[in-house]
Amino acid sequence: MITQTAPAAPAAPAPPATPTPAARRRRPDLFRILSRVLIALIVVVQVYPLAWLFLTSLRSEHDFATGDPFALPKALTLENYARAFETGDLGKNILNSFIVTTGANVLIVLLGMMAAYAIQVLGFRLSKLVRGLFLIGIIVPVQIALVPLFIDYSAVNLLDTYQSMIIPLAGFSLPMSVYLFSSFFEYIPRETYEAASLDGAGPYRIFGLITLPLSVNTVVTVVLVNSIFIWNDFIFANTFVLSEELKTIPLGLQNYIGAMGKVDWTATFAAVCVTITPLLLVFLVLNKAMIQGLESGATKG
Amino acid sequence: MLPNRSRLSVLVFLLPPLLLYGAAVLFPILQSLFLSFFSWNGISDMEFVGLANYIRMFTADDVFWRSFFNALGYLTICLVLQLGGALVVASLLTSLRRGRELIKTLYLLPAVISTVAIAFLFVRIYSIDPVGLLNQLLDWIGLGSLERAWLSDVNTVLAAVSAPEGWRFTGLYMLIIYAALISVPKELEEAAVLDGASRWTLFTKIRFPHIRPVWITTTIMATTYGLRGFDIPYLMTNGGPGQSSELLTTYMYKTAFTSTDFGYASTNSVFIVIECLVAVGLILFMLKRKAES
Repeated sequence: MITQTAPAAPAAPAPPATPTPAARRRRPDLFRILSRVLIALIVVVQVYPLAWLFLTSLRSEHDFATGDPFALPKALTLENYARAFETGDLGKNILNSFIVTTGANVLIVLLGMMAAYAIQVLGFRLSKLVRGLFLIGIIVPVQIALVPLFIDYSAVNLLDTYQSMIIPLAGFSLPMSVYLFSSFFEYIPRETYEAASLDGAGPYRIFGLITLPLSVNTVVTVVLVNSIFIWNDFIFANTFVLSEELKTIPLGLQNYIGAMGKVDWTATFAAVCVTITPLLLVFLVLNKAMIQGLESGATKG
Repeated sequence: MLPNRSRLSVLVFLLPPLLLYGAAVLFPILQSLFLSFFSWNGISDMEFVGLANYIRMFTADDVFWRSFFNALGYLTICLVLQLGGALVVASLLTSLRRGRELIKTLYLLPAVISTVAIAFLFVRIYSIDPVGLLNQLLDWIGLGSLERAWLSDVNTVLAAVSAPEGWRFTGLYMLIIYAALISVPKELEEAAVLDGASRWTLFTKIRFPHIRPVWITTTIMATTYGLRGFDIPYLMTNGGPGQSSELLTTYMYKTAFTSTDFGYASTNSVFIVIECLVAVGLILFMLKRKAES
């Protein structure tokens, strides 16, 4: 299952330069046109709903309730954004999501690196078994932990805290992190460690002076990949958090469903736009790193 | 193995991660297994009931079976959209000369949006009054007779809650498969083209066998993610109308936190874990065997 894919190919590799017999020349052209149309169509399906979400957040309520959904807004308004900030505490929600994401990422990176170091670099007799244990966390669904953690948290008074979200989010992301780090550590040449050992460096110094500084790229990968899932986590927050004070973005958005299920849609869409902006910006700025991370995350996992 | 390492140093590095992982993942699994043999509402004393929960689940609970088959339907739709869509788009993308990076980014965009936002969005897309995007589109292409309230119709609701999940992650799998397709040696493809291989032969005989290991990984990923699907059905319909979009996960959640039947909910969780392990085993068995034949 462990496969190494080649690094990204050159941006525009030329198609195989084979002389096409005259009789076959027209088919590839048709194929090319068809495949372009298809790609364009699929991209529209992926992107249009999001563009529509944004446009709707700029529409007046009346326009939204009566107009053709595909039509462009008659007039642009920021009223919805004003109402969105009135209804919910978006700033607080974003801050909470930020705290949870940061906390979980610190644990995932640090602990993942430590476990990988123990397994891959230090080595011990049962390392295969420990690796296998981590595989369980990738396969089993997160829902298994909800009831037990709810019971345990109420026993030790952890319900309704940041930790109640951070612990399971970090725990379930740890395996991927361990696998990513250990596959990276494989590429650090043995000689580096042996030389350091001869100079009298022990395992702690080697970790701090060699392994840690070399791993920066992998850290970025691990953080980017996990942040998508942690920032957007709904299920743990929904189960363990009750007070307004601690609500993360996904829970905060639910406040927009009013009494009797009546929803102020344009304001809700404005709130959605505000809350997806931070992650979207990170994604658009770092999309190369993120795409590479997602690719390697899966192929090495 | 590092020469100057002590047993203690291994423990220092290994223990903290194992503690977190044990507390968050391993111990809860064992706890679920334990609780599944009890009847407990969280307040009164726990009562040992042996296999009664399992017997109830398999023989006397229609909702459980309904949820199980719904979950299989949900999984199927997700797999077709995610893996099928990913394979098609990745293959098409390799024939493109420019703009690949841009398309990859755009295609992945939905993956960074939270499920709550997606649920809101799709509620509006499926809506009939005021008319949503889907119904309007059907009207335009002359299929107005198909217009309906997709989320209240028992025949369409399951597909309607599955599609957003498929839509959301297809970009992720496309990336992975695309990276694998790009790594197919060019000489192999060129040689096959010179021998007059059609696009289809090229795909089935050269490209697909080459990406098979990655295909196995993505299939396992998509399947385990599909089986843990929860957010979107829970948020859009909460399993309704009736039980028509109830999945095992949403049913388990309600059993635990609405009916506070922790024992029976744990029995459901144990079933979900076993289901995931069996699914992964089956995928490995089928795809590995095909590779050998």
